[in-house]
Amino acid sequence: MTRNLRITNNKFIDQTSRISFKFDGKTLYGFKGDTLASALLANNIHLVGRSFKYHRPRGIMTCGSEEPNAILQVGNDPSMTEPNTRATEIELYEGLVASSQNCWPSVNFDMGAVNNFFSPIIPAAFYYKTFMWPTNFWKLYEYFIRKSAGLGKSPTEPDKDIYDHRYLHCDVLVVGGGISGIMAAKIAAKNNLNTVLIDDKNVLGGTTLFQQNECFKINNSYSNEWIKKEIETLNSLKNLTIKTRTSLAAYHNYNYLLARENLTDHLDLNEKKDKIRQRLWKIRAKKVIIATGAMERPLIFNNNDRPGIILSYSIKKYIDYYGVKCGQKISLFTNNDSAYETAISLSNSGVSVNSVVDIRDKTNSLIVNQVEKLGIKIHWKSTVVNTNGYKKINSIEIMKLSDDGTAVVGKKIKEECDCLGISGGWTPRVHLFTQAGGKLKFRDEDNVFLPDTTELDQISIGSCNGDFELDNVIKNSVNLTNKFLKINNNNYENLEIISSKEIEKKNIWLLPSNKHLGKTKSFLDFQNDSTANDVKLALREGFKSIEHVKRYTTTGMATDQGKLSNMHALGIIAETAGVKMGELGTTTFRPPYTPLTFGAIVGRNVGEFFDIIRKTPMHEWHIENKAEFENVGQWKRAWYYPIDNENMYEAVQRESKAARDSAGILDASTLGKIDIQGSDASEFLNRVYTNAWSKLEIGKCRYGLMLNEDGMVYDDGVTTRLSENHYLMTTTTGGAANVLSKLEDYLQTEWPELDVYLTSVTDHYGTISICGPNSKKILSKIIPDLILSDKDFPHMSFKNALIDNINCRVMRISFTGEHSYEINIQSSYAKSVWEKCFEAGKEFNITPYGTETMHLLRAEKGFIIAGQDTDGTMTPVDLHMDWIISKKKYDFIGKRSLYRSDTIREDRKQLVGLLTEDPNEILEEGAQVVAETNKQPVEMLGHVTSSYFSPNLNKSIALAVVKNGKKLKGQKMFVPMKNKIINVTVTDTVFLDKENKRLNA
Amino acid sequence: MLNFNTPISDTKEYSEIKISEVEPILKINLRGKNRDFITKIGKELSIITPVEPNTSSSNEKLNLLWLSPDEWFLYSNTKIDVKVGRVLEDKLFNEISKLKIGSVTNVSDHWIMINLKGAKIFELLSAGCPFNFNNFKNSKGAVTQTLINHTDVIIHNKNIDDLNLFVRRSFSEHLWSWMNDSARFI
Amino acid sequence: MFLINCPYCGERDQSEFSAGGEAHIERPKQPTELSDDQWAEYLFMRKNIKGVQFERWNHAHGCRKWFNMVRDTSNDKIHAVYKMGEKPPIK
Repeated sequence: MTRNLRITNNKFIDQTSRISFKFDGKTLYGFKGDTLASALLANNIHLVGRSFKYHRPRGIMTCGSEEPNAILQVGNDPSMTEPNTRATEIELYEGLVASSQNCWPSVNFDMGAVNNFFSPIIPAAFYYKTFMWPTNFWKLYEYFIRKSAGLGKSPTEPDKDIYDHRYLHCDVLVVGGGISGIMAAKIAAKNNLNTVLIDDKNVLGGTTLFQQNECFKINNSYSNEWIKKEIETLNSLKNLTIKTRTSLAAYHNYNYLLARENLTDHLDLNEKKDKIRQRLWKIRAKKVIIATGAMERPLIFNNNDRPGIILSYSIKKYIDYYGVKCGQKISLFTNNDSAYETAISLSNSGVSVNSVVDIRDKTNSLIVNQVEKLGIKIHWKSTVVNTNGYKKINSIEIMKLSDDGTAVVGKKIKEECDCLGISGGWTPRVHLFTQAGGKLKFRDEDNVFLPDTTELDQISIGSCNGDFELDNVIKNSVNLTNKFLKINNNNYENLEIISSKEIEKKNIWLLPSNKHLGKTKSFLDFQNDSTANDVKLALREGFKSIEHVKRYTTTGMATDQGKLSNMHALGIIAETAGVKMGELGTTTFRPPYTPLTFGAIVGRNVGEFFDIIRKTPMHEWHIENKAEFENVGQWKRAWYYPIDNENMYEAVQRESKAARDSAGILDASTLGKIDIQGSDASEFLNRVYTNAWSKLEIGKCRYGLMLNEDGMVYDDGVTTRLSENHYLMTTTTGGAANVLSKLEDYLQTEWPELDVYLTSVTDHYGTISICGPNSKKILSKIIPDLILSDKDFPHMSFKNALIDNINCRVMRISFTGEHSYEINIQSSYAKSVWEKCFEAGKEFNITPYGTETMHLLRAEKGFIIAGQDTDGTMTPVDLHMDWIISKKKYDFIGKRSLYRSDTIREDRKQLVGLLTEDPNEILEEGAQVVAETNKQPVEMLGHVTSSYFSPNLNKSIALAVVKNGKKLKGQKMFVPMKNKIINVTVTDTVFLDKENKRLNA
Repeated sequence: MLNFNTPISDTKEYSEIKISEVEPILKINLRGKNRDFITKIGKELSIITPVEPNTSSSNEKLNLLWLSPDEWFLYSNTKIDVKVGRVLEDKLFNEISKLKIGSVTNVSDHWIMINLKGAKIFELLSAGCPFNFNNFKNSKGAVTQTLINHTDVIIHNKNIDDLNLFVRRSFSEHLWSWMNDSARFI
Repeated sequence: MFLINCPYCGERDQSEFSAGGEAHIERPKQPTELSDDQWAEYLFMRKNIKGVQFERWNHAHGCRKWFNMVRDTSNDKIHAVYKMGEKPPIK
């Protein structure tokens, strides 16, 4: 490493702990406390990437999150590599591996750089314009464009890192730990407010932390010494939580904010393991104080993008904080006083400053005078018209500005340098303020947008609120905080402050050159490679709205959202279009402020926690018996139980046959169950179901169909009358939560006069369904004292019973058409009862069956599944269920809709059965049904909703919804498939046991 | 005899967090709108019916939690014999549901109770719960219904750093494993 | 993410709630006596305004009670919440 680029008297970097890292394959060294950027600069590496479009060499330009050029790929593990990270934000750690992006074969020799020579023919929107036609060639173009563009590589394997989320509620959230934020947090916490202070850097203090300058003093100390003491006092405050390395990503309505905390990114590779890498904080703050400071602006001039051109205040931070010289012969170019601070810092560290180029006529503020005293040459009323050096700047060309600032005059001076510091003034970081819906106002005197009005309980203080001078920052921050928090005691009254004041201000958005504008390259958006010229072209082509210009030129659309030079783009547009900047407005800043990893967004919702999993009480038994599972909503339901090497088809055929031949057993615990009590329970059921309930005897069950108010089938299930005013309703598995919520809605809002109470008992009961001709014998073994004769316990009735002293309810109901029983017992005993049934059924070859067999069995009987054979457009009449619509009832949910002009149409899609000509041909669910095959386009009459091979009928069966289906019975239709056309006949929907004899078998 | 099965039946300890599923206890859901109902359950259970939102009242054996203006949740402190539990349930049912002043529903197996103890339990909850526990954690007897990791829960603040959490049985294993996963990182 | 003041439980995160559309649309007491047009008016027609809107919300993962809300759809500001059956506190 080049020793002479480090200065040794530095307080922030631990120069005793050397760290090795790799950049573009080369091993380099830095120190603990370095960022990747400062370590690279200390190794004299400026060139870190190629620009997006022209592949021009680009170097580190800033020291913070606004960095447009040093966008690197970090890590080379295919599961952990991360593209588009900013070198200025990466803390150096042992084992760090980073590489340049957007260059091939290497950053030093990039083939794409030929684009630079073609740049006159690649103007703004070149890609949009050129590759528009022929339309179907886009696929081809896209392949090559994507290959040559692109920023970084995505990881190819799942992320091994651990991420986490955490909610946080506080009285006051202070964003930004610079001087304003520190004072505000202290005031809040001292006044018993639960306060959180966050900052994206690893230490608090902001730029004040390294401001050791005679021109900025507080109570006779350098401002850096004063802030150090302030930070020390924060640690003793009980109500204050400090989170460093935490960057605020998004500020939403209702003071809901998202912040990402980096927990391990700065640790050595071997220390990162098994720890949470990043935590996303979901913050609810009663009040928010934004103290995010300001960003230095670049200047827009010809060839302002060469490696070695760095923002002046970043040069100051590199020398004062990191102890790194950005060059040996540095020139500065400015329109304001802050570059003079850099000049002093450099000079104090023994770096020679060639000169300061200042576009202003002359000024003699405290700090400028100090620079003049140091004997540094100042070129007043001058501008840089060009820079030279391909991979690193080696000289600048300076000319005098005309009086009106639109042209250059006189002789060109060439000045050699190895680094150019530029400063175009300061932009308050108002991004968070506007994310939260705040409106901005424009301050003409120094061309800044400032927070104006907001609906939220928030304020901005310090330089993000437009205060750039130390005395104003302190005074105004304290006053605003006091007023905002409605308190008046603090320790910041009577401070004695020395602060240099900026007297002269001048701004030129696009600095003139001796060359014609078309021949210059004055970059606005460094990351997206758009120039002042591109913006002007867009205006010439008729774009007026700032949002349109942005999209046309892509200015401000890179991963940095144009943090650096959006203001210049606005300025140039305003100037060219002849409007005031305040009237032009700004583009919208959207979250996240800096890019978030997908990992942080997803948190722990990965793997087994990707979605909620619900299990029935018998789940373990299903696993032990090798069941395959199906997701039904959040439930894991046993799908089928393969034996030996059976596939699904074989298992389902076997299960279906066994259930009808002897006995089958099904876990039906997932059905929704609602306990209904109250003196108006019967009336309530009358209103929510299509059929009548008042006359249902106690101890009897009834099937009910529930409609939506639009007359379409919503849900179905069996409801049992347990006593006079007590019912147990069952719903479909998927509809359980929605049905309960819908019923509560009607009770609370439409029928508050009804005395009815609903309580969900879905999870309280395990439900075991035993079906088949031997089901009676099995049940009698389990509950011997229950009389099971058809007379005493007929179909559609229920009995209370005891199994080993545990209460249970046995319903004789059937979804398969077989003689069957459903046992409902407290979930804690359900698995045990299930095992008992299985034991008792062994002599009858009792066969466990899953959801697939259940679906097949009910299809044989033509029973619908709400949600499979219906889709929210089927009325009961469409389903041949006219029998369940009470004619006598005055009203029920959906009744009126059943005779709307649309619902009484006879040619609606209706449920039918389909039989294939070849009984072995199984239709595909979802396949279309048509009446003819030789017309194009053919009319789609409907589709197959359920289809199976029935082992009990030994042929393929299907249910379908078909237009005018009721009248088509017996007709031949066609199901066209990819390679063939299947001939089918429309039939009745009941395929098996039309007389329902098996129910009582 | 039938075997009793619970989805979890385990206790796990982490730094300043102890999570355990509690022995099956009696849980009854009570609903009613009028004053008669409120007086009646108070009398039957010898407990004051909490009418203040998000609160509860307790005696040696029972806890009565406010869930909504017409809904309460009753649970016992200890395991109650099946028969004794049935007597209490029947008594309430006869005095309330039969007399048409409200509803009484046994939900003992609908909910699983998980006890959380330790100084860091609220940090654990905040990993997946948007509820603001700042005041809740200092008010003994406070009750809230909210979401933890997208799952509905009832939380009863039994004592300082000691709370009972109720989750529907079918969700309980998943929430349990999520809590254990999250507790590792507290 | 809104912070909603449930009229029964107090301030809670929006994730505990579900929205139920426009408020103050009463289900007709005698639907059978309505013409197709009148019924369609009840069934399908909803305002969708930019500005102050009256809405139904349900504290689905809390007390499960429905209530009304006055919300400005242009900036998501909640002006008031009130119980079912109560008159809107704002016009």
